Amino acid sequence: MIPIITIDTLSKTFRSADGDEVRALDGIQLTVEQGEFISFIGPSGCGKSTLLRIIADLIQPTSGTLRVNGKSAEQARKDRDYGFVFQNATLYEWRTIIKNVELPLEIMKHSKDERRARAREMLRLVELDDFEDRYPWQLSGGMQQRVSIARALAFEPGILLMDEPFGALDEMTRERMNNELLRIWTTMKDMTVIFVTHSISEAVYLSSRVVIMSPRPGRISEIIDIDLPRPRGPETRDLDQFFQLTSRVRHSLRQGITLE
Amino acid sequence: MTTVSTSAPEPLVRAERPPRDASGMRTVFTTVLILVALGVVWEAAKLFASSVNYSLVVGGTTIDLKILTDAQLPHLGAIVGAFAEPAQRNGDPLYIMLFQNALYTLWAAIRGFLLGGSIGFVLAVLFAHSRLLQRGVLPFVIASQTVPILAIAPMIVIWMGRAGALEWSVPVISAYLTFFPVTIYTLRGLTSVPQTSLELMQTYAASRWQILWSLRLPNALPQIFTALKISATASVVGAIIGELPSGIQNGLGIAILNFARYYNQSPERLFATIVAAGVLGLLFFGVIVVIERLVVRWRVEETT
Repeated sequence: MIPIITIDTLSKTFRSADGDEVRALDGIQLTVEQGEFISFIGPSGCGKSTLLRIIADLIQPTSGTLRVNGKSAEQARKDRDYGFVFQNATLYEWRTIIKNVELPLEIMKHSKDERRARAREMLRLVELDDFEDRYPWQLSGGMQQRVSIARALAFEPGILLMDEPFGALDEMTRERMNNELLRIWTTMKDMTVIFVTHSISEAVYLSSRVVIMSPRPGRISEIIDIDLPRPRGPETRDLDQFFQLTSRVRHSLRQGITLE
Repeated sequence: MTTVSTSAPEPLVRAERPPRDASGMRTVFTTVLILVALGVVWEAAKLFASSVNYSLVVGGTTIDLKILTDAQLPHLGAIVGAFAEPAQRNGDPLYIMLFQNALYTLWAAIRGFLLGGSIGFVLAVLFAHSRLLQRGVLPFVIASQTVPILAIAPMIVIWMGRAGALEWSVPVISAYLTFFPVTIYTLRGLTSVPQTSLELMQTYAASRWQILWSLRLPNALPQIFTALKISATASVVGAIIGELPSGIQNGLGIAILNFARYYNQSPERLFATIVAAGVLGLLFFGVIVVIERLVVRWRVEETT
């Protein structure tokens, strides 16, 4: 097992304008292994998105240490070690679909031919190759989010960070996107995924481990191994084991909240 | 459509944008209708004033309607007719003379537009990247627009004359009016970038220059074009005003000065010149609209 992300006694305190301090994260301890699919789940205010953003070096921790691929988070960001998927697809409206997927490759100064070929390949992967010349507004929410996943994978990062990527989608689309994501993750050898969600069934269905977090201050209250067989599909959701695991996660979440 | 294995039917792709022709025809129709209505009001007012012998008594007070006489407010037919008549004895018809002068003014306006637009754009980029510059310089930029252009124009003519670039005095005066909207709108466009769009660039470790080029600029384009449309008409106004103190002999501004002097003999010539200036401004505006449609192609057609 190769540790990809190691987090040690990490805390984050936000200071509001009137001087009040809010402890968003406290004493976070976590190691993520290569090739894992790990979910952060918890009620709002538990700091799950904050933790993801700290790993991405979009915000800085107040104390504690964090290593990504054995480097500081800042160095890992500069080395483009991870791809990030936001809750809203964050496509650039002036770019066609294929030009959106090419964006990171453009920033990273890949050649024009290579960009085009790579973006085509990615769009084929998310099954949107018929839409490359459309503009984002012409696509549905689910399709837009698939484009943003294609964009995040275009430069072949070893880590994929996803911040409630399917939170804005309806239940049907979300389950379909879950299957898509698992298929893509299986295609990408040894890719590590960190997935933030507030959906219990989504977390259980996708993950190899579910990190349960509780609020005020944001803490990891339990980590549950999900040993459901792979490959997983719609029938996985009907397994007894799936029900047992979702209720375990639900109970654990409830405990975190009744602590108040 | 290719078959999609894992996906159930996805919501249909949204419709293509509606054809422009339909709304375009409606716009033309409305414009013509308003023009006709204004003409009717114009002529009806004149007809009414002449029927009451240019004075109207309402509740004991007499209202003087002499401004509606043919000597003050010509018939529309007279204004249209004036275009075909010689501007000077045995000279070219007025429309040729106006066309030549309009070209002269347009050339100055284009130079002013490009000069002012470039200055406005550079200022906006500098302000967007330096809060210090923005705090320090922006108030002066705003204050510059509270000074009447008519007060500054003669000074610019003198300075440009001293600098040996007198032919640039009109464009510089025009630029004084055009740079401001470009600065303000471009600055707003460059800085009103959605937070996650910016964070996306951070996850790519993009440089400032790359963020400017690939995110801030395209994000600002719709606002930049709004500014350019304002500036296009302002540049024509600026060029016309700039011609007044410039001492040059050509241009619509000079034509306006001349015809104003002979207003009592033939008011229709001044009106014809004003029409020409309006058409010039509209044409410039229209060119920017066409360029905007070519450049800003991603926008959903706005239904108004």
